[in-house]
Amino acid sequence: MDKIIYAILISNDRQDELTRLLSGIRGISDSNLFNITYNDISVVASDFSSNKIIVDKEFAIDYARVIEDLAQHFTLLPVRFGTLMESPDAINEILIKYYDEFKQNLQKVENKYEFSLKVLWDYEKCSGKIRLKTESEDQNAAKLFHNNSVSTEYLLKKIKEHRFESALLEHVEQLIGEISTRLAQLNPIHKFQKMVTPNIILDAVFLLEKHKKDEFIQAIDHLKSQHDDLNFLLTGPWPPYNFVEITLK
Amino acid sequence: MQENVIDQSKDITILEILDRVLNKGVVLTGDIVISVADIDLVYLGVKLLLSSVETMQKNKLNTVKPSLQIK
Repeated sequence: MDKIIYAILISNDRQDELTRLLSGIRGISDSNLFNITYNDISVVASDFSSNKIIVDKEFAIDYARVIEDLAQHFTLLPVRFGTLMESPDAINEILIKYYDEFKQNLQKVENKYEFSLKVLWDYEKCSGKIRLKTESEDQNAAKLFHNNSVSTEYLLKKIKEHRFESALLEHVEQLIGEISTRLAQLNPIHKFQKMVTPNIILDAVFLLEKHKKDEFIQAIDHLKSQHDDLNFLLTGPWPPYNFVEITLK
Repeated sequence: MQENVIDQSKDITILEILDRVLNKGVVLTGDIVISVADIDLVYLGVKLLLSSVETMQKNKLNTVKPSLQIK
């Protein structure tokens, strides 16, 4: 039977604690969890018969629940859902071969939480305000042209669009700058994606020290109170899914 | 109204979970790894996450500002 891999964790000299923990958690399809250990790190896995079971959303959620339970007790690297190996020997082989990479990544995320922050605005409303602001500048541009030819109209339209887009981008950059400056005080590692959709101006993930959790939440609360026109969607703490940079072949 | 906000938030949290387990984390490939072929599920996870967040905004549910979505 195939083995599905959930996580790689620092077990150190806590083997007994890990065994006890695994006996109290059920894997997907109500399977038993087990660990394979090399030096101070372990892989957590369970049996998985992919031929008999249709993989669906519930499986993925159960899988995440196992990782979440483990993360409450051990520093770990979540493994992407759907990673199957043929045997415990194969798992052991991977563990030995990539021990250094695993250890390095585990040290990077030790005693840290991941948080996700999405910042939303009402694009139509906010862009409408910015458009109004830039319209007065557009009128000044129109005065520079003395005729109303088709080409002039086209040019004015282009200038208008350019001014609007620049002003919009500048506004978004300013908002994101304000947010990142405030949160930088807590010194998190972060990954930002700006304007992922017209309504989501920031999609960010943060990795910060566990003891700074409350301070981080307070900082978001403070930002919320200063920006009535923005929605701050904060989720976490998560296991460090977004800060694991290992693709092993 | 408030119930809707809560329901939407739960949906988004579930989608955030799916996005993570399906698209993030350690990727192991190679001869001794057999992956579950599940591309459709992976694609759906990411797409749904962004569109659900946007829908919440468009439906003006933000008039009741969602509190911190701490799991």
